[in-house]
Amino acid sequence: MRKILDHHVAILLGLVVIGSVIFNVWSPWQFTEIASNWKFIDFTVKVTWWICGVAFVLLGLFMAWAIWRYKFHESGESHYEPEHPVLESWLTIITSIGVVIMLAPGLIVWDDYVQVPSDAMEVEVLGEQWTWKYRFPGEDGIFGTTSVKKNVNRGRDETTFEPNITSLNPFGMRDGDPHGEDDILIASNVLHLPLDRNVKVVLRSKDVLHDFWVPEIRAKMDMVPGMITYFWFRPTRTGKFEILCAELCGRGHHIMRGEMYIDTQEDFEAWLDSQVTWAEMKAGQTPEEPIVAKGRQLADQNGCFACHSLDGTSVVGPTWKGMWGREVNLADGSTVIADEAYIVESIVEPSVKLVEGFGSVMTPYAFEDDEMEALLRFLQETAE
Amino acid sequence: MAEAAQTGQGPLTTIVEDWSSDVTTFKAVPWGKAMMWIFLLSDTFIFTSFLVSYMAVRMTQTDAWPVPSEVFALEAFGYPVPLLLIAIMTFILITSSGTMAMAVNMGYRKRKVAVFWLMFATALLGASFVGMQAFEWSKLIMDEGVKAWQNPMGAKQFGSFFFMITGFHGLHVSAGVVYLLIVAIRVLRGRYDNTSFEIVEITGLYWHFVDLVWVFIFAFFYLW
Amino acid sequence: MATAEIPYQETVPLHHPKTWIGKYVFSQDHKVIAVQYGITAMAVGLVALFLSDLMRIQIAFPGFMEWFVEDYYYQAITMHGMIMVIYLLTAFLLGAFGNFTVPLMCGARDMVFPFVNMLSYWVYLLSVIILLLAYIPGLGGPTGAGWTLYPPQTITEGTPGADWGITTMLASLAVFIVAFTMGGLNYITTILQARTRGMSLMRLPLTVWGIFVATFLGLLAFPALFVSAIMMILDLKIGTSFFMPAIVSLGQTLAYDGGQPLLFQHLFWFFGHPEVYIVALPAFGVVSDLISVHARKNIFGYRLMVWALVFIGVLSFIVWAHHMFVAGMHPYFGFFFATTTLIIAVPTAIKVYNWILTLWKANIKLTVPMLYALSFVLTFIMGGITGLFLGNVIIDIPLSDTYFVVAHFHMVMGVSPILAIFGGIYHWYPKLTGRMLNDFWGKMHFWITFLGTYIIYFPMHYLGFIGVPRRYYENFDSSFYPASAQMLNEVITWTALVVGAAQLIYVANLVHSYFYGKPAGDNPWGANSLEWCTPETPPGHGNWGDKLPTVHRWAYDYSVPGSEKDFIPQTVPQGQSS
Repeated sequence: MRKILDHHVAILLGLVVIGSVIFNVWSPWQFTEIASNWKFIDFTVKVTWWICGVAFVLLGLFMAWAIWRYKFHESGESHYEPEHPVLESWLTIITSIGVVIMLAPGLIVWDDYVQVPSDAMEVEVLGEQWTWKYRFPGEDGIFGTTSVKKNVNRGRDETTFEPNITSLNPFGMRDGDPHGEDDILIASNVLHLPLDRNVKVVLRSKDVLHDFWVPEIRAKMDMVPGMITYFWFRPTRTGKFEILCAELCGRGHHIMRGEMYIDTQEDFEAWLDSQVTWAEMKAGQTPEEPIVAKGRQLADQNGCFACHSLDGTSVVGPTWKGMWGREVNLADGSTVIADEAYIVESIVEPSVKLVEGFGSVMTPYAFEDDEMEALLRFLQETAE
Repeated sequence: MAEAAQTGQGPLTTIVEDWSSDVTTFKAVPWGKAMMWIFLLSDTFIFTSFLVSYMAVRMTQTDAWPVPSEVFALEAFGYPVPLLLIAIMTFILITSSGTMAMAVNMGYRKRKVAVFWLMFATALLGASFVGMQAFEWSKLIMDEGVKAWQNPMGAKQFGSFFFMITGFHGLHVSAGVVYLLIVAIRVLRGRYDNTSFEIVEITGLYWHFVDLVWVFIFAFFYLW
Repeated sequence: MATAEIPYQETVPLHHPKTWIGKYVFSQDHKVIAVQYGITAMAVGLVALFLSDLMRIQIAFPGFMEWFVEDYYYQAITMHGMIMVIYLLTAFLLGAFGNFTVPLMCGARDMVFPFVNMLSYWVYLLSVIILLLAYIPGLGGPTGAGWTLYPPQTITEGTPGADWGITTMLASLAVFIVAFTMGGLNYITTILQARTRGMSLMRLPLTVWGIFVATFLGLLAFPALFVSAIMMILDLKIGTSFFMPAIVSLGQTLAYDGGQPLLFQHLFWFFGHPEVYIVALPAFGVVSDLISVHARKNIFGYRLMVWALVFIGVLSFIVWAHHMFVAGMHPYFGFFFATTTLIIAVPTAIKVYNWILTLWKANIKLTVPMLYALSFVLTFIMGGITGLFLGNVIIDIPLSDTYFVVAHFHMVMGVSPILAIFGGIYHWYPKLTGRMLNDFWGKMHFWITFLGTYIIYFPMHYLGFIGVPRRYYENFDSSFYPASAQMLNEVITWTALVVGAAQLIYVANLVHSYFYGKPAGDNPWGANSLEWCTPETPPGHGNWGDKLPTVHRWAYDYSVPGSEKDFIPQTVPQGQSS
């Protein structure tokens, strides 16, 4: 007992090392089951894991042993030896070999990772605060070009432009590009992909940095506004997977989630056929009354659609579809009819009466009377 | 070095000896001078960061980049002469380096009055450089409509980088002018009579550095 | 070796203040400035510690603190990170340890420019005040962009504090860089040009070497941050587009056009990676000295230790883009930066081997500073090897932006340097105040802090393996990891609360021992380096009395065969043993 107390430091340090190993073995928290072709990434992780793990255990236990063995004694004397070039050289060489063994497979897989197979089908992911949208190139296999602004006019004193990304053109398709007409636009968080096909994921962002990540796929890449980035993978099992945003993108970062379904080829094609192309989307848009159009424009400019959808899906905020006149459950347990007064209050002081299930992320907005009227008219229209 | 020559050792041996000796690593280098060198090294990284950022943005720019020889042309005798003003400014700044070098030389000999006037002349040349820069800025802003956030001729970043980098350099020159004047007056009043005139040399280091930076700005902005 | 007869510094008159304010407030004495730096850094560090506990409560018990909304969480993340990295670690290791140890260990009377040194502290204090101005109510609070401050989100509406918060943050950083430059120029010039007789560079204790290389890194790396701060301020305030492409921020098409978000990341990490070593290298140095002194044995492989420091310092400038493997830069950069990053592991590993080999056949005294040094080595090994995961480009792909990264950098540049700082404080406090810190409470504080932080960060790696993303206000239920992950989060949070509270023991110990601690004497640890050879304890202004000491040997002559005592101070001439 006395001995244990004497050597408690060595024992505790040793226990930390051994405890780490036990935790590692016992832990139910290991890599999520893979669902793509990137098994070699997992292999590289394993190689690094073993080399590093062995190094950690050896160094840690050696240290604990040395503390036990060479604990201070009045009569004790340490061994004076400033240098030992042979030992130092050997340690350097062994470490270098370990590093090469870890690095080599890593670089080989990376080479694979950055070279997209030529037969890969393409899908574009468009990130925005705080939702996902997807686009397929359609029959011609070529994405139409896009832009953030149109009619840019550089004057002597100011540069004028019109926004090209609006609720009527959520992907910012450029006018007059024939490749864009047959592009299939999916303005929802749900993506379907076929099993066992190489997929090149083309990444684009409207506003800030995002990162398209499905943990089971392993691969990820940032989406950078003003740039197009990409990665590729091949799904190897069907099922439903969660899409996360892995790059801090503002106050709604944690709610930026989507779903990815890996389907059989037939299911995938059936799903894709049911989606609209850009040409169809344009054709389906009927002209609106001026005041309603103004309301839509206001909603566009103020970014309402970043959180409120028109198609019934609710992500960040409640959907506007069918909202007008509906009974709403509030976070405090009471209910209220979504009439004009309530909606105006929710715009001006959004945090007062929160709808159940939604966070307090909306900032208050102030509108002129005529603007508010237009906005309300638009909201009323969309409710029907 | 003289010692090294006598004992037949090369410069490499001298360097090793200096670095492995006690008290000072750089022999006969006063503290202030060592400190100025290290500061300038740090400052070099600031200007390098600015210029590399500029190059990176310019090379990847999709919008048109204005042609510098046209934008910075000045009308002389009825003809637009490309880079006329810049050439004069560069000439002035390099001349000021010359007067500064002469001031340092006079400083070694402790000739107070000569040091004062040469440093004063250097400051004057520096001030005129800043003045011409102000003229160039106003011409760009008023006549060409280029602002830091706006450029009718193409890429916005042209104005942004131009005003930021030349402005930052102009601040260095302005600070240098003040620094020169303070030191010059102190020299004249006899503050350093009993010690060495190393402060003149240190001021000179800073001034030459500012000139050197201008050469790079000149090359990357006006000649590219 | 050429020995100068009378070092220049012996003839330099010091400015001796007459008033209390001159002695303790606007003091030019490097030791007072060190204490000022230290206290300010610890105070602001406690703020950051408090923020981290708030974050942990939110992660483990979402909804428990209803008032702690998304904005507060992201603001807490940002302020915690920035304060810890810059205003605590950098300021403490260089401002406090640098100021205290450099003149004492080099045998100088003070820094070469004491007035500039004093300004350095006051400008640092100004930067801290500007940083905290972000909390003025009604202005939107501090920025919530994460300590990396990536544009465009930093200055767009979707991020909290996108106006006032980011302005104060950038202004504060710029002011801090000015303060650091003033201090850093002093440290380097002092080390290079103002050592005492007989003190060659290769006789300097490793603490000074670590501070020397780290300061160089700072002087060359901070400029990139300075430049990016200026450019971002211009983007925000006058509408330039350095970092801002054409974007639609929350529905509004902004006037920005043609800028490059990645340019900022390159500039930031060109600063940010050396910054890791700015924090790590002084810690390496301090720990090397602590291990050698308390193990009563010379540091093993001194020359290799010095060259490893220099080599790491140089390499740290060409590895920065390993922070950007998933940032969307040209993929071929991945090959280069993964290779350089793994090369840097070799000198780092050598340092670890040498620490451990110093313990071999030693005579180890398990004092409180030694406990911290030993725990540093173990924590640093853990942080270092997980760095090998993240530095290898392809492994970084699944692990980046998960809790694995959080665990890694907290181990390697959060906990490790903090342990080194605590070790250094327990080691030098007797010299600074003349009194020992309380041993029992020191050990209590040590075990809670070391075991606690290990329990916090070791399991966190596994949260990363299962894919829990970092910087999430709330995790909800995810299908790809077991629900038990939340239990792990709760354990981590409880431990974090205990460790946070335990720091009060340390603060109380510092204060109590100052008045009631056991008198220390001149050299309580039996150490060799010059700071233990001062004629007075605590050392007076000018450190050395009338005459500077003369150095005859390196700082690691412990247990030299044939000598009477087990240590021979640096001032003892060769051939004599005491």
